[in-house]
Amino acid sequence: MAEQAQRRAFEAQAQEKPTHNNHAYEELRHLIVAPEQEGIATIQERLDNLEKRTADVSVVVAEAIQMRREKGDDLALAAALAPTIQETLRESVRRDPHVLADALFPVMGPAIRKSIAETLRGMLESFNEALEHSLSWRGIKWRIEGFRTGKPFAEIVLMHSLLYRVEQVFLIHRETGLVLNHVVAPSAPAQDAAMVAGLLSAIQQFARDSFQPGQTENLGNMTFDELQIRVVSGPNAVIAAAIRGHAPEAYNLAMNETLEEIQRHYSSALAHFTGDPGPFRAAEPQIARLLETQYREKPPETRRPRAAMIAGAIAAVLLLGWAGYSTYLLIEWSRFLSELRKQPGIVVVSYTKDGRTFHIQGFRDPLSEDPKKLISQAGLDPDSADLQLAPYYSLDDAIVARRATALLHPPAGVTLSAKNGELIPEGSAPQNWIAQLEEKAPWIAGVSRVDESHLQNSSLRQLNALRGTLESVVLLFPLGRAELDSGQETNLAQSEKNIRALIAQAVPLRQVVTVELVGHTDITGVEAANLTLSRERADQIRAALLHNSVNSAILLPRGVGTSQPLHDESSEEGRRLNRSVTFKVTLSPLPAAGTASSASGAAPAN
Amino acid sequence: MLQKKVCMLGSFSVGKSSLVRRFVESMFDEQYHTTIGVKVDKKVVNANDEDLTLVLWDIYGEDVFQKMRMSYLRGMHGYLLVVDGTRRQTLDDALRLNDRVVSEIGKVPAVLALNKFDLTDQWEIEPDRETQLAAAGWTLERTSAKTGDAVEKAFLHLAQAIMAK
Repeated sequence: MAEQAQRRAFEAQAQEKPTHNNHAYEELRHLIVAPEQEGIATIQERLDNLEKRTADVSVVVAEAIQMRREKGDDLALAAALAPTIQETLRESVRRDPHVLADALFPVMGPAIRKSIAETLRGMLESFNEALEHSLSWRGIKWRIEGFRTGKPFAEIVLMHSLLYRVEQVFLIHRETGLVLNHVVAPSAPAQDAAMVAGLLSAIQQFARDSFQPGQTENLGNMTFDELQIRVVSGPNAVIAAAIRGHAPEAYNLAMNETLEEIQRHYSSALAHFTGDPGPFRAAEPQIARLLETQYREKPPETRRPRAAMIAGAIAAVLLLGWAGYSTYLLIEWSRFLSELRKQPGIVVVSYTKDGRTFHIQGFRDPLSEDPKKLISQAGLDPDSADLQLAPYYSLDDAIVARRATALLHPPAGVTLSAKNGELIPEGSAPQNWIAQLEEKAPWIAGVSRVDESHLQNSSLRQLNALRGTLESVVLLFPLGRAELDSGQETNLAQSEKNIRALIAQAVPLRQVVTVELVGHTDITGVEAANLTLSRERADQIRAALLHNSVNSAILLPRGVGTSQPLHDESSEEGRRLNRSVTFKVTLSPLPAAGTASSASGAAPAN
Repeated sequence: MLQKKVCMLGSFSVGKSSLVRRFVESMFDEQYHTTIGVKVDKKVVNANDEDLTLVLWDIYGEDVFQKMRMSYLRGMHGYLLVVDGTRRQTLDDALRLNDRVVSEIGKVPAVLALNKFDLTDQWEIEPDRETQLAAAGWTLERTSAKTGDAVEKAFLHLAQAIMAK
């Protein structure tokens, strides 16, 4: 400014001298100051001309900012520029939000994802840990997981049920709706990609126009029963995935990542797309990766090698079989042991199992059942049993009966049983065996008494039978006479034989036989005569018997006349029967040895 | 294969869908027309010795009840403007529609199909009018969805115009 004032003063002074030497002075002055003056004028013009000044600044503005930053005075520069930049951004968004949105798209996605991923990671980690350390059986695993994590069981199940299958993935040019690439999962149904892509775009457009006019966001999901279409959109491209089942929300992350990658790699091809999908063929591996994610949620145990599973199954079956067989054996052995304990004559004190061998300790009466045979009958292996049974005398009723049988040899028809030390013979036995029984039984171990109430004496029965036969005989006599009727000799001979048999059989039974010969008459005549006649008849028979050497001592004749008629005498037949002699047998126990001979030997004189 | 997005435009009942139904591959139901106003089909043509997939957006004809959704035209490479030759009004409507399309989308290859040419006795388009249109730069085809006349040709001309661009 001072310089400018000086120059103006100098010019004014020069104009004030209109003299002749003015010209020369002017010339001189021109020679001296003209170059500076021109320079000053140029500078003046550059300063006054806005356009030029702008041009000058534009040359150095970048360097100036750079220099300022290098001086380390960033904050002042940032503070100075901030309002302008903010205003610029605001204005840019106001004019056309797409410009900024498109510019920020590649950075916003990752930034947002990173933030969300961080939040989720903590939660997922606890889940994953719980999963990894759980049992292999899924149901129990999930229950335990629920218990451990404190989360509702339904939530755990839901988390594990996120099985899905991405059947088709479409890469679509956003503006034209033309398909750029299309991949289909193996064996999944595939439609015409061009038409599907077109209609998907149309539906997107329809939804946008109908429900969000003016918005640029796309329809994210479409669901048809089990099929879900997930759509993610970028500035120039759209990825649509047809998913059967329920893909986790995280699947959209993978879609977004793929889309961003494609947007980045093919930005130029997308911008200048004219319908040629050729350049996008190379994107196939990227979108095919989205098909592969379907396997991500599969439980790891399904990938176990088949051979290992089969081997495991066989081992399990064998183990189960072995355990089952062992249990079966144990059950069978314990059943056998309880049966063995019930066996008379066998006492099981203890048993132990050692590997495949059963050791049984106790006592056994030699007359009891053979334990080895019992083992075989139970269907078990007798060789796997080690029997340590000491012999003893059992007082079990069954064994006592068996022992008595062995010692007494009962005749056929006689059985022996025992009850509480009492031996009970049943059936019919001859006198001599009964005598033996009575003699030997008390010596048998376990027998304290013999109950003979069920035992018949066959010898005694025979004796009684003979007696009956003899007593039924009627020896007939003619009217008024004491000689036998003709034809009665056979009867007499038979009676004699029976008397001899009676005497013989009475001996072992220790009985003394006495045979009364009773003479009878009919009512014809007077009683005194009849008494005599009857006695004569009895004597007559006695004489006949004595004649045949029957011991006279046992024959006692007597006459009863008509006092003991055998029949009523209303008929001739009745009277005939009353003219007779009958027998009456008396059995009496043999007296002591001293009197025996006199009783049996000495015959009374009458 | 090269793909091109082609729209079928024209008033209600001029025969767009009939043209499409007879000569293209379809997989979607006609119901899409009435629900979302567009049905997508496909036609493969051979233009200049190159196979070309035309993805046809058959857009529901405009009428008093429904306005055409301009957004469906985004990114199209060409269009077939269909007129009912037995109703002159549909030509005027089509040309007005064309003006709207050009102002919103820009100029893209197009073919004007004067359809229902089988009904010659009811034909309402004067030869002079056709000449004027041709002079204005229109590629004209007298088509008949009923007999199939010139339909392939109309699509082919459109495909060639798109390829030449």
